[in-house]
Amino acid sequence: MSGALLEVTALEAGYGEVQILWGISLAVQPGRLTTVVGANGAGKTTTLRAVVGSIAPWGGRVVFAGEDVTRLSTHAKAARGLVLVPEGRQLFGAMTVEENLEMGAFSKRAVRRYAERLDRVIALFPRLGERRRQKAGTLSGGEQQMLAIARGLMSDPQILIIDELSLGLAPVVVHQLFETLKALKEDGLTILLVEQNVHLAFAVSDHAYVIAEGRVFTEGPPRSLAARPEIRRAYLGL
Amino acid sequence: MSGLFASIIDGVLVGSVYGLAAMGLTLIWGVTDVVNLTHGSAIVAGMFGLYLLTSTGVPPYATLPLILVGGFLVGLLLYWICVHRVIGRPPLMSLLSTFSVNLVLIGLGTAVWGTALFNVPVALPSVSWQRYTFPGTHILAAVLTAAIAGCLYVFLHRTRLGKAIRAVANNRGAAELVGIPTTQVLSLAFGLGVALAGVSGMLIATLFPFTLLSGDAYQLKSFVVIVLGGLGNPTGALLGGIALGLVEGLSTPFMPVSWTLVIEFVLFVIVLIAYPNGLLAPRRA
Repeated sequence: MSGALLEVTALEAGYGEVQILWGISLAVQPGRLTTVVGANGAGKTTTLRAVVGSIAPWGGRVVFAGEDVTRLSTHAKAARGLVLVPEGRQLFGAMTVEENLEMGAFSKRAVRRYAERLDRVIALFPRLGERRRQKAGTLSGGEQQMLAIARGLMSDPQILIIDELSLGLAPVVVHQLFETLKALKEDGLTILLVEQNVHLAFAVSDHAYVIAEGRVFTEGPPRSLAARPEIRRAYLGL
Repeated sequence: MSGLFASIIDGVLVGSVYGLAAMGLTLIWGVTDVVNLTHGSAIVAGMFGLYLLTSTGVPPYATLPLILVGGFLVGLLLYWICVHRVIGRPPLMSLLSTFSVNLVLIGLGTAVWGTALFNVPVALPSVSWQRYTFPGTHILAAVLTAAIAGCLYVFLHRTRLGKAIRAVANNRGAAELVGIPTTQVLSLAFGLGVALAGVSGMLIATLFPFTLLSGDAYQLKSFVVIVLGGLGNPTGALLGGIALGLVEGLSTPFMPVSWTLVIEFVLFVIVLIAYPNGLLAPRRA
């Protein structure tokens, strides 16, 4: 194939009787930051859920690192390094910050070099180090998002998929988190980001997909997408 | 007064064993969201485990590890028979499936052993302290219960697998996302819960005579205990059991034993109305 780390082909999925995705195809190149943008209800989160297997895809294929993983369970995908930081954080709120990080490194692959990775993650988010013994449910929204990303990083991801990074967070925190993303990308991490703040997402990403009504509307480098009048009007509010 | 004091202490000793049974029920509920109605059968199976093993010459307390392991394996089997397919479905489905398996198990048991009263004599010297005398079996049952509860606590809070069980109880979807095979963890928790119920049955059978139909009463006691101690909280269950034991110990000197269950359930209803999340631990573990 095209050397993509994650390749999604003609993905269809939905909930109950309602079909949301009508054949989504996208590819994530290794070492790149790829963004998926689109209006509410366009199918961004559903795409991610179908990719990691939180919901079963109705059709299409998900190929990860050369392997067809479409029908694998979510935990098996996580163990291969296909890691989702879900919308709404989904932390283990009754467990401590450190326990959350430890659970992030549950798989055999991730438990190797656990201490080393823990140090790196704490260096990335010093605030979490200060709050190691605190219950995750008592953290502020920004800290919870940091912990969600940190927990994802503890899984030793080959690709880190982040759903709605900035949702409900203060602008200062959002800015910090995007700086962290840039740093992670420069370290060579492959990232797939779903983001409602299109300005910010375009500013950091190498490639972008625009999704509308469960289909890929268009794709390309963010700069050329941002130059197109219909995209400026619909997604950038210009 | 001295009679009351002895009765209260004895109530606490016996109550802790009820707490052990309830720990099994509440662990399963907390992790799988299933109210396990085979709980009574598991308790009775522990009782008959003690009876059958001791009749082949195994010393009474040596049956404990055997019943623990056996209960765990039976629990795994039960999970795959009647729980796995109703995980995540409406509660009525798991209630019905575990209820019907319970009926089958009790039916099979009565076909083989009838409903006669069994009694396993356990020779253990009683312990005297000042003017009071406590049966050795009661003291040892409470000590073993405390040890098992301690082990469970350490397992759930200090080991990777134990933390994974708590993670699944806390947020099953997220657990799956971090690579925890949640189905295996669910079956493991179910096995553990049944093993705890079995061991509590075994310990109860060292204290009191029993029949094949004793399970229902102890299952009901377990419900009272977990409502006292907080749903889904194993540590709270032990405290709830002790609280229930206190109530029994306080009431038995003043009224016929047949009133005990009435009092317990009046208490159950009051606590359910006033503290729906449990008296002792409002949060889910």
